[in-house]
Amino acid sequence: MRAEVAIVGFGRTPYSRVKPGERIYTVDEYLAWAADLALAKAGMSKNDFDGQGLGVAHAEAAHTVNWSAAVAESLGISPRVLLRADQGGASASAMLIRAAAMIHAGIVDRVLVMGADTPLTIPSIAPGLPLSPERTRGVFWDFQGPFGVMGANAQFGLVHARYLHQHKNRIKPEHLGKIAVTTRYHASLNPGAIYRKPFTVEEYLSSRILSDPVRLLDCVPMVNGGLAYIVTSVETAKKLTDKPIYLLGFGEVSNYYHGSRNQPDITYTGFEQTVPEALKMAGVQHKDIDVFEPYDDYPMVVLIQMEDYGFCKKGEGGKFVEERDLTFKGDFPISTDGGQLSGGQPGGAIGGFMPIIEAVTQLRGEGGERQVKGASIAAASGFGGMTYARNNRSCVTMIFGSEA
Amino acid sequence: MAQTPQGKPLPQITDQTRPFWSAAKQRKLVMQKCDRCGTLNFYPKPWCVECGNRGLDWVEVKPYGTIYSLTTAYVVMMNYPDWKDDLPVIMCIIDLDDGARMYGQLTDCAPDKAHIGMRVQAHFVDISEEAAIPKFRPA
Repeated sequence: MRAEVAIVGFGRTPYSRVKPGERIYTVDEYLAWAADLALAKAGMSKNDFDGQGLGVAHAEAAHTVNWSAAVAESLGISPRVLLRADQGGASASAMLIRAAAMIHAGIVDRVLVMGADTPLTIPSIAPGLPLSPERTRGVFWDFQGPFGVMGANAQFGLVHARYLHQHKNRIKPEHLGKIAVTTRYHASLNPGAIYRKPFTVEEYLSSRILSDPVRLLDCVPMVNGGLAYIVTSVETAKKLTDKPIYLLGFGEVSNYYHGSRNQPDITYTGFEQTVPEALKMAGVQHKDIDVFEPYDDYPMVVLIQMEDYGFCKKGEGGKFVEERDLTFKGDFPISTDGGQLSGGQPGGAIGGFMPIIEAVTQLRGEGGERQVKGASIAAASGFGGMTYARNNRSCVTMIFGSEA
Repeated sequence: MAQTPQGKPLPQITDQTRPFWSAAKQRKLVMQKCDRCGTLNFYPKPWCVECGNRGLDWVEVKPYGTIYSLTTAYVVMMNYPDWKDDLPVIMCIIDLDDGARMYGQLTDCAPDKAHIGMRVQAHFVDISEEAAIPKFRPA
C-alpha cells in the first residue's frame, strides 16, 4: 500500500482558551470550519464527498448516539462510508489508515476526515461541573478515579517516574526542558499556536511540580478547536494539486505490552512495533527522515518516542536530545509547529491531527518561518488513551513523502 | 448515578465488581483468578486476559507488594476538589507479591521517604455503606 493515497488538503481552525467575552463555538461549528479550510486548500466542495468517505474523530463533547451520522446530517453530506475512531490521540491517524484501506479496496476515492472538541466548555472538564456520563461509565474508570488517580498528569507522572528510576544516571530534567523549550520556540514562529512566548530551560526547571516529576511546563494546555484533512487516491490527488503528500508507510497497534501482560515494562510503547512496519512499507530508513512530528502531550512522551522509534537506544534519549539540535534549523527537527505542548491540544482526542497536518505542511514547503529546508520525508505519530497502570492504548506511525 | 458532582468520585458498583468492594469492606483484597491458567486479573475483567477463559474465581490475595512507580500530586487535577484535603497524594503502581499490578495510594509516608522498590502493605478505607478502597502503607 505504499504511496497509494495522498493528502491534498488540510485545515486547522484558530484555537481558543475561552477568554471572557469571546464567541464560543460548538463542536459542529469547529468541524465545519476546519472542513471548510481543508476543502478550500484542496479546491473541493463538500458535495464532492457525497458517495465518498467521511471520518469523524470521537470528541468528549459528543454524547449523541450515531454521532458520525449526526455530523453528516449537520454538514449536509451523504457519504457512502462513515468512519468514526475513538482512539483518542490516535484517532486521526487510525482513520487515515482506514481511509487508505478503503481507497485501496476501491470502495471510495476520497475521504474527508475531521475532528473537533471543546474541552474548555463541556461539562467533562470544566471546573465545578459534573464529570460527563461517558467518564463515569465502565469498570476501567471505577478502578482509577475513586482510587485517587487524578487524570493524565498522574498517569504520565507514573511512566515518567519509572523511566527516571530505570535510567537515573542517563536522564536529566534539562533534557526534557530542552524538548519543552523547543516546542515553545517553534510556537513563537507559528501564528496559530496558543502559547508563543519563548521560555528558557531555567524557567522550565523552576516551573512548579504538579504531579512529581511532572512540572507545569511539562503539561499540554487544553484548547477548543478543530482540524481536518482530505485524503484521496493518487490519481485524484494529481488532478487536484501539484503538491500531493503521499502516505508512504504506516503501522498501528493497540493495547501493546512490553513483557508480560500482568507486569510489563511501562517505559516502552507500541512504537517499537509500528515503526519497523511503517519504515519497511515506506522503504525508508531513519536517516532519510527530515522532520519528526511526535505526539507531544508531555516531553517524556517525546523522549520515549525517540527511543521506541529507534532514533536512539532505550535509555539514551537524554543523550540524544543533548547532542541534537531539535529546532527546524537543526539536525533533528521535531514539533515544528510548536506541537501540542505549546500549540494547544483540542481535547484529549483531537490533538492527533496536528502531527499529520504539520508533517504535510512541512513537506509542501509551507512552514513559513519554521520551514525545515528541503524536507521531503516526515515521520508522524498518533498516540491515544492511557491503559490501566501501563502506558498508552494506541500507537500509530506514519511516514509521509513529497515524492511517491 | 453513583457519583458526587464535586468531590471524590465513587465507583458504580455492579454485579461484576461487587465482590471486590464487599471484600474490601471486610478488609480483604480479592482478585479474579483464572480457573484454567491461574492468572490473576485486575482490574475486574470479563474473561482472563491471558487465555480468554470466562471462568474467573474471586480469591483472596496477599496484601503485600512493592512500589513499581509513584507520582506525588501537589494539586488537585481533573475535578476532584475533595482530594484537596489529602494533598499531597502519593499515587503508586503496586506490584503485588501474588503477581498482579494495581493503582494504590500510599499513606502514612512522607513524599521524600517514598520510593520505587519500597515494600508496602494494604489497608482499607471505607467510602460508602457497601464499599472500601484499598490503600497502602510502608510494610
